[in-house]
Amino acid sequence: MSYVSLENAEPFLKCMEVLAEDKSCIVTDSVLYFSGKTGKGFITVAGVAAGIEVLAVNASMLTEDIAIEFLPSVDASSYLLTFDDIELPIPADHELSLPHVLLAIDRSPSSVSITDAGQGKRIVYPKEKMIRALVVRVQKTSLGRLIQDFDAGTIQSILQSTDGAATLSWPITFKYRLLLNDFMNEIVQHPFRELFTLRNVSILVEYLLQQFFVMDKLSREGNSLSIQDTHSLSKVEQHLCLHYKTEFPGVEKLSRISAMSPTSLKTKFKKYYGETLFGYYQKNKLEHARKLLDNKVPVKVVATEIGYSNPSHFTLAFKKEYGFSPWHYLNPH
Amino acid sequence: MKSQDPLSAGPAGQWSIQKLPVGLTIACARESSGLLDIPLPAFEGKGLVLTYVNYKGHLNILSASGSEQQASPALGLLTVSNRPFRFRADAPIQFSAVALLIPDEWISLFLTGNLHFKKIEQVLAGEHNIITCRMGRRQLSLFASLPTGSSDGEANLLETQNNALSLLEYFLCNRHRSLLGAGTSSGIDNEDDLSLIREVESYISEYYCSDTFTVDAILKKTYTSYHRLNFLFKSIHGMTISEYIRNKRIERSKEMIADNEKSISQIAYEIGYSSISNYILAFKKIYRITPGKYKKQIDGRMPA
Repeated sequence: MSYVSLENAEPFLKCMEVLAEDKSCIVTDSVLYFSGKTGKGFITVAGVAAGIEVLAVNASMLTEDIAIEFLPSVDASSYLLTFDDIELPIPADHELSLPHVLLAIDRSPSSVSITDAGQGKRIVYPKEKMIRALVVRVQKTSLGRLIQDFDAGTIQSILQSTDGAATLSWPITFKYRLLLNDFMNEIVQHPFRELFTLRNVSILVEYLLQQFFVMDKLSREGNSLSIQDTHSLSKVEQHLCLHYKTEFPGVEKLSRISAMSPTSLKTKFKKYYGETLFGYYQKNKLEHARKLLDNKVPVKVVATEIGYSNPSHFTLAFKKEYGFSPWHYLNPH
Repeated sequence: MKSQDPLSAGPAGQWSIQKLPVGLTIACARESSGLLDIPLPAFEGKGLVLTYVNYKGHLNILSASGSEQQASPALGLLTVSNRPFRFRADAPIQFSAVALLIPDEWISLFLTGNLHFKKIEQVLAGEHNIITCRMGRRQLSLFASLPTGSSDGEANLLETQNNALSLLEYFLCNRHRSLLGAGTSSGIDNEDDLSLIREVESYISEYYCSDTFTVDAILKKTYTSYHRLNFLFKSIHGMTISEYIRNKRIERSKEMIADNEKSISQIAYEIGYSSISNYILAFKKIYRITPGKYKKQIDGRMPA
């Protein structure tokens, strides 16, 4: 395992230097590429002015776990936001009967979280997985500036009230996944890296706050999610996200994946993701379609690409979701 | 015109102005009338102004020097804030616009030191003091989702901010792309083509060292034809896509030779050449010297 520890005030760049030495990789232009022997992908750092720092990890097939530890410190006045999209191996159908012993992790690996940096945090990126992760360190004052109209104080008070854990963490949703995906595709090449990072952080914070308020409301109503449920639901969510190209798997199969009854799966999913199972699947699918349309892919090709056998079905679904047809989207002028 | 925001009254006139937490100021206007004559909003502070307009009808842009130009729909314009211009229409028109003030302090915070931005600044300083770019799909849909004028002011501020930041980023990126290489005369003034090129470039930079990398893979990934991609590459980089890839590989190999850690054959293999002679030929074609000689040159210059 490669291990890096960071003091409160130390820049993220140091973390890269340590890793580079450890793995004997070269850092060029603040991007670290894994050589084929230690894994694939890259790690990069983007320091944005105004107290925001971002560490992005886009890697797969790492030969060793990477652990990054942010040491606790009393005078830290920043938050650590993490956004992890780590691909879980989905058990094949015949393995579903296995008890959940192996999966009894305290949190699902794909999650978003917010932590007071004063408490410290340890992040482990597992080996041999697809990893897309962002760590954002943002000064409390800067966060206040980013989200002026939200009450930043609420976050503080809720963070303190959660029995000393000082971390709030929620399962990831497809919005984050799509954004992380875009981020990783563009960050290295982007001509305006600071601006690009700032925009993405701002959007991520928006998502985070939306989710934050939903979850906070739910827990105040006494509906907070148990760890087991979180894990099961996020497995379903991941399944829906990854298999957007194939047909909707059906509630029956999803309930087997989650080891929940169809009814409770449906109600719980709706409660925590704000969408029905099919609605969630469809939204994700159409966002992918929209990405393709952005690149001038013909409508027919998009339809087959995301798994529609008939382009007009796709057009109908697209129109229902966005209010305009794909053709109209392609020819806006 | 109703105004919910106290800021929107006063000198701004038809514009409703909002300050965004991140430091930008945004002004929106929507107008549907017979005659139109509105100046840019009067922003406090100095900086750059990025304006997006979309309309149905005929619209002219009147610059400070008095020259009048016909605008085209879905247009983005970047100017310096002390060089104002007006939008004029003599016929009935449906008009919506968004103006974004990027203050000088903000620029110095986020964009100084960025070489690409310097080029844009140079162009702005010159006589072509308005930089334009037509909006693509992404920009148009962002533009449409911004609250325009007096409609409903109760849009989420954070969302507005994110949309504004995205608009700014896309604009700068596209301009940056078209300022590169063959210059603005290349005729590619279209966001979508530019973003396609960007995607291809980032794909290439990720995979160009792999020996299984082919142009076909790019075509499959981006759903374009070889000819179209080549055309775009030629007009922006002045070379075909395979030349572009070869240059990238050879450049990388040059760096690796300079590092002096690996043998030439090892390098050739690592940057994705299956035979050394192919590699040597390619290297010779670009630098007019074989890699071996180049290595000797370097070794001779600074004895280790």
